[in-house]
Amino acid sequence: MDFGIQNQTDEQQQANKEPSNQNGNEGNKKQTGCCAFLTVEFYTPYFNVTETDVLQRIQGTFLPLRPDFLNLIRGNPDLWGPIWINATLIFMITAIANLRQIDEEKENQSFVISYVPQATALLYIIAFGTPIVLAAVMKFLGVDLSFFQTICLYGYSMSTLLPITILCYFQNELFLWLIIAYGFANSSLFLIINLKEELDKLQIQKKYIIIGIVVTMQLSLYLFYKLVFFSYVKE
Amino acid sequence: MDYTNQKHPQNYSQMEDLKTLDLEESVSETIMRDLRMIAYKLKYVLIPKEQEDNGKELRNWDLWGPLIFCLALAMTLSFKADSTTTSSKSDVFAIIFVLIWVGAFVVTLNAQLLGGKVSFFQSVCLLGYCVFPINIEAIIIAFIGSYLPFVVKLIPVIICFAWSAYSSVGFMASLVPPHKKKLAVYPVFLFYLFLSWFSLIV
Repeated sequence: MDFGIQNQTDEQQQANKEPSNQNGNEGNKKQTGCCAFLTVEFYTPYFNVTETDVLQRIQGTFLPLRPDFLNLIRGNPDLWGPIWINATLIFMITAIANLRQIDEEKENQSFVISYVPQATALLYIIAFGTPIVLAAVMKFLGVDLSFFQTICLYGYSMSTLLPITILCYFQNELFLWLIIAYGFANSSLFLIINLKEELDKLQIQKKYIIIGIVVTMQLSLYLFYKLVFFSYVKE
Repeated sequence: MDYTNQKHPQNYSQMEDLKTLDLEESVSETIMRDLRMIAYKLKYVLIPKEQEDNGKELRNWDLWGPLIFCLALAMTLSFKADSTTTSSKSDVFAIIFVLIWVGAFVVTLNAQLLGGKVSFFQSVCLLGYCVFPINIEAIIIAFIGSYLPFVVKLIPVIICFAWSAYSSVGFMASLVPPHKKKLAVYPVFLFYLFLSWFSLIV
């Protein structure tokens, strides 16, 4: 990493030692080799967006049947969206899940902080793990999947959860199941329609494997959401 | 050069000259000097009027200040988590501690990835020092929070959150190209919002 402006001598020594420790290269910034993906420079091209771009891409996820999203990210998939949409979701889950319980029991305020690591694990594994699994399976089936585009796709598909989390504040069980079902349908459709381009390169039977993986992961995400974070609160 | 007269250096570089006397002075003197340095940096970071040279003083980063504030916040919040809550004291302490350091790391990494040329530890140092207002509000709410209705508790929370965010946003926004400013600033807001919210709710 670039440690920047150096004023003290020991910091200078530390900075000079850094490049020579990396992978046996001569200390130039462009690291080629097996560990290139561990440097910051490798990921910089994927942060080439402005805030209007990000907002447009989020808007593109709300109506899955229109093919806007692929046109928006073509040639310029970004990683800012996936990372920070999920971070926002972690905050909103913790906030709203606890707010629900605070209003119910005035005397026994049960504050559950374990939602933070649970939400972090759930969201980041699904947002970043599923594309890895999909890429591996597609490679095995003989088709190349553009990896960063899929990560971008998955990350932005999480933005359906943003309004759903806010609406989960309400206590009505039926309402919660309805919006969870809507969210599941919306994000699954979004993912499948946007993956259609790549899926068409496969045969019909093999397509269903990929669709199956996508739908299963979305189902588990939404079920986890409902059953763990926003489960029934006794009156 | 006569070092004994430089008991209260005006800036950190003068303090460098005193380092040669480390082994000869008493422990309390060393500790007081470090504490004075932390207090100086804190004033510099949190009171905007002191920043005439646009953050150059931050080149002398240190992580003692952030560590002290992080530990203080984690301890304050974990004291309040008692047996009636479903999370134990150690859970709360651990999660707050990890949240602060990982959060500072990720926010800095985000600024670097967006193209900002910033020293990594400089930015972590700044974010850590700006946690101090959150500390203040956590202590206020810990002591008198149970006597106040929710709405009244919101007032110090919002003031301290705004103070933290405002202090660090100026630095962060100056690091990245203009068209990506909001992308670099939003994570900072989220970070302090998360911490403020914890101090309100726990």
